[in-house]
Parts: sequence; structure tokens; C-alpha cells
Amino acid sequence: MAAMAGGGPRQCRRLEAEAARAVLGAADTLLFDCDGVLWRGEAAVGGAAATLGRLAAAGKRLCYVTNNSSRTRVAYTEKLRRLGFPPAEPRHIFGSAFCAARYLRQALPPGAAAYVLGSPALAAELEAVGIPHLGPGPAALPGPAPADWAQAPLDPAVRAVLVGFDEHFSYAKLCQALRYLLRGGSDCLLVGTNRDHRLPLEGGTGIPGTGCLVKAVETAAQREAFIVGKPNRYMFDCVVSEFNIDPARTIMVGDRLDTDILMGNSCGLTTLLTLTGVTTLDEVKGQEGGSALHSSIQDLLDHLVRCLVFCNCWHQRCWGPQLLPQLCPGWLAACPAHAPGPARPAEEPDGLGGQVQEHHHLLHNLAE
Amino acid sequence: MAGCRRLSGAGLREVLGPAQGVLFDCDGVLWAGERAVPGAPELLERLRRSGKAALFVSNNSRRSVAELERRFSRLGFRGVRAEHVFSSALCSALFLRQRLLGGGGDAGNGGGRVFVLGGEGLRGEVRDAGLRLAGEGESATGPAEPVRAVLVGYDDQFTFAKLAQACGYLRDPQCLLVATDPDPWHPLSDGQRTPGTGSLTAAVETASGRKALVVGKPNTYMFDCIVERFGVDPSRTLMVGDRLETDILFGKNCGLSTILTLTGVSRLEEAQAYMASDSAAAKDLVPNYYVDSIADLIPGLDE
Repeated sequence: MAAMAGGGPRQCRRLEAEAARAVLGAADTLLFDCDGVLWRGEAAVGGAAATLGRLAAAGKRLCYVTNNSSRTRVAYTEKLRRLGFPPAEPRHIFGSAFCAARYLRQALPPGAAAYVLGSPALAAELEAVGIPHLGPGPAALPGPAPADWAQAPLDPAVRAVLVGFDEHFSYAKLCQALRYLLRGGSDCLLVGTNRDHRLPLEGGTGIPGTGCLVKAVETAAQREAFIVGKPNRYMFDCVVSEFNIDPARTIMVGDRLDTDILMGNSCGLTTLLTLTGVTTLDEVKGQEGGSALHSSIQDLLDHLVRCLVFCNCWHQRCWGPQLLPQLCPGWLAACPAHAPGPARPAEEPDGLGGQVQEHHHLLHNLAE
Repeated sequence: MAGCRRLSGAGLREVLGPAQGVLFDCDGVLWAGERAVPGAPELLERLRRSGKAALFVSNNSRRSVAELERRFSRLGFRGVRAEHVFSSALCSALFLRQRLLGGGGDAGNGGGRVFVLGGEGLRGEVRDAGLRLAGEGESATGPAEPVRAVLVGYDDQFTFAKLAQACGYLRDPQCLLVATDPDPWHPLSDGQRTPGTGSLTAAVETASGRKALVVGKPNTYMFDCIVERFGVDPSRTLMVGDRLETDILFGKNCGLSTILTLTGVSRLEEAQAYMASDSAAAKDLVPNYYVDSIADLIPGLDE
């Protein structure tokens, strides 16, 4: 079982056979990240739907915990259905849009409105909980220059600025957000759906993530946002309030150390890292370098890659003190050195680039 | 550590007497919006008559130095020429010229293009430095010259699409990421604030996983430009500014004595708080002296 900080050395082991049966047997609930774990864009990860079908048939509760703020819960149930996953109800889906709306409903006085930098889905989730909102879509401001924008009337009801993924982000909207935050001071909440730097797309490209927009607002306003998404624990709190969850009997499955695994470990869950997502570990390295994490994560991730290539278990010596044990997943699904398929070169520090690791191992281990 | 003493009376003559020159920040020091700070034009005139040099160093990357020269004139300041003005727009262009065209390495292919997030003032300075901008004058046929630098300045037309485009260029580790200045916000004349280059740079840094090279104050590159053109002696030069985190720290970093003027961003209480702080970094933000307005310096100069 995953040991928490101060609970002794963490070990990350490859999940297969006996260990898999034991770990899965001990769990009632599995929480799945979506992008990079279940699907990439519109393509399901091979074996994922069948795996989840088997887990559901075995009586496990399946929930979905995603930082992506561009879809409503209903839209996620649609996507799961479309890609062949077991049927899910909206109450099983914990997207950052839904959870941000829930947070604001708890945190705002009745009638207070939110100025939103975000998608129609984020607006829809606010609507669903009865929070008035303005802002989504292109900025609608008088005149072409900041001098004009500074004269635009501010809505007196706004008591929160909410930042999600916003393809219409612009200097004008940033201006408005800053004005609301300055007007309200500590009476105006600043909330971000998540800090992801990058939204990976198919083919290894990506676009800037919500974290960039949150950082722009935080820098201009010189204050820190409350972040709803992983690795913060608010989304797990939402799961707990919906279902009777025992953390010791819950597994968090994700593809990112700094969001999925960190949240899972912080909440006392068993954590399972899959290598199907974050495209390559290079991506993870690149993102870690840009995050606020400990500066030695780069070296430790290099250790990680070498360990995987030679199919060693990860030991405490690979990890530094303090923060890093929190990033060590309890289990690793699918070691590439044992993946079915063509033989791989022995020395390949970046050898995980582009490797698609299927869910076969997990599924195989679950069968009898 | 600097003492944050009010400069007045005999102190004025002691400090101004030996100075050969004064560097001034502009916004919040010489003017606020479209109005000159009362007495500021007269101060510059008195400096000139005392035989002391006045040079201008501004993080504002909106305007070309030619526009700034006209602005000085329009607001009642006499005798200020473009060559006296060091804006972050100009200095960023000079920096990029050095890095992309200097040393002869890339002279053959013209040094590549620069993707500029900023207005026409900034774009003009980059062009005037002999650099080509991404998105301008490209031939319809043949491969485009690679983009060798992304320059983030004050861009009131910044969009998500431009952020994504910048990140695309920055996937090439050879492509520089440069920011004109670190300012997180700027004051408007009615007390509101408008986001600064620093907030846009934060977005680009987060998306690209890169740290920007920042040209403007408090970094010292703009002082290097001043020294190269005018050869000033830091020990005989004063720095006057309104923002502790940029102007005063810049002065400290360049070895200049610093004067905070209270007609702009920073409050005296903030300077005093830095002075009382235990952190070494905070102490560097404490000015040697302060005045309510630069007009208060006039009595320190010969009649």
C-alpha cells in the first residue's frame, strides 16, 4: 500500500500477476483520469474500455476525475458511451468545470456572480448550480484601447473571477478580470480550474493549458488563485461527498506524476501510473521543469526513465526527501521492457518516447 | 543598507552637487498620463543649466524613442532628444540585434525572424535595429526564415492564438524568449490598473516551460546601453524612480545612488517595510533617499 510522507520509504512496483490481484481485490473504487489514460483526443486507448468493463463487472465503482474544464459532466458521459466504456452517470464524473461551479456555490453569497474566463461548458456548469456569470466568449468591450476598457461599467454583482480553459483569452479579458479583483479586494474570489501547462493533442503537439491563463491573472493581480483541480484535493473532496469512499480501498489511476499521482498520494489513496499518456516521459520532464516543483525533479525523472528501461523497481534512493515521495506512484502499469512487441534497444534514455503501452497487462492480471 | 532618508535642505546640495548626471524613469516620475508632474520640466531645465546630464530609462515598451521624444515636447519638457531616451522597446531591439546579428555567425541568413508580441512602437524599434519580424514581408514561395526569437512586450492585442503561436516557435530550443520588462501592472490615471508585460510573459513562460530573458529594469542591460552610448560613471550618477521593485533595485544593481519619488506607484510605507524586513533581498529595494516629487530637487541646484 502507498505509504504517506513520514511513513517510511516509498516503493513503486510494476503491477502484474499476484500483486495486481491483491491490489485490485483490495479496492472498491477506482478513480480514473481521462485524457491520456482512457483516450487521446477522440481515440480510446487500446484495451481501456474492455478493462473498465471487466472492473465494472467485478463490482468496482468507477469514477472519472479530470482537470479538463471544457466539457460538462453530461458531455463526458456521452464521450464515455461513444468510446465504448461502461455506462456512467453524471454523478460519477468529476470534471474541473463541475467542481469549480460547486466550489463557488459553497463559497459565494447567494446572488453573487462570477466573471468567467472560460468555455461554454464552464458557463453551463455555473448555470446548472444557479450562479450568474458573465465573460465567456470573445471580449465585448467598448473601443479598441485599454483606456476605453477601463471605462466599461463593472457588474456590481460580481464577487469572483473564475479562470478555466479559454480559447478567447485576450488582454481585454485579462484587463476586466484585474478590474474586478482590484475592486473587490479580498471580497472577490480568484479561482482557477487547474494549473496544467499544456493540453496535449494527438501527434505529440499541444496547446497552452489553463495554467498559463491562471498565471497571467495571478501575476497582474499579485495574488494566488484557489485551484480546484489536481493535485489539489478539492476534487477528491467532491468525490467523497457524493460517494462513501474509503481512501484505503480506493485507487487513483493517472498518467501524470504532478497531478494525478500527487493528489492520490496526498489523499491517502493507492496510486497507479500508466504510461499511456502525457505522450512521452519527455513531456512530463518538460512540464515538470516549468512547474513550481522541486528543481531536482529533472534528475529524478532521468533516474526514473533508466529504471524503467532496465525494468528495475524504483527504490527510495531514486527519490529525494520531502516532496518527492508524494510523487512516487504506488504502482506502475505496464513496464515497456516487458511489453509485447518488437525488441527495444537496451540503452535508450528517452526510449519511452511515443511508446504506446496498452492496458493489456492490467486486464490480463485481472482475469482469473 | 540604504537609509530611505528624505532629501531636503542641505542634503539636496550634498547629493546633487557632485552628481554629473541623473537617470530618470518616466511614468510616475516626469508625468502621470497626459500631465507633466508640476515642476518637472523646470527641474530638467535647471539640471541642464547646471551642466548635469539628464537621461531617461523606461520599462514602457509601447512607444518608440521617436514617439517619446515628441511626448516629452508635448508635455512641456525642452531639449530632450531621442538619443537621451532608453526605453525597453529600444533596448530589447538592441539586445536582439546583438544576439541574432552580432558576431557575424548568422549574418549570412540575416539572423532569422523575430515574433513580436507588442504594438507598433515596439515592432518599429525591432525593424529599426535591422531585424525582420515574423509575419511581415515574407515571400510567398520558398521556406520561411526560422523564427529565432520571441519578444514579449506590452501587447494590448494579446490573444490565446498568439500565445499558442509563440509556444510553437519556442519548441525550438535555439529560439530565444525575451521580455521587454517584468512589470506586472501599470497604473491608470484614475487609480485603476492595467496588466503589464510581466503578466503576459508569465503565460508564455508557463506554456513553453522556458524562462524569459528580461531586458528591462531591474536587470542591468539598459544601463549597459547607456554606458555604451554616453559612458556614464555610476559613482557620479543618480537614479530617480517611482517603483521600488524596478527603478530602485535597478539603481542598486548598477551601483547608482537612488532617489524614490512619491508621485507614482510605490508608497513610502512600502519602502519602510522593506527596510524593516529581515530578508537581504528586501533591503536592496530600499532607496537611499526619497522626495515627494522631483520638483523638490530644484533647490539643490545652482540658480
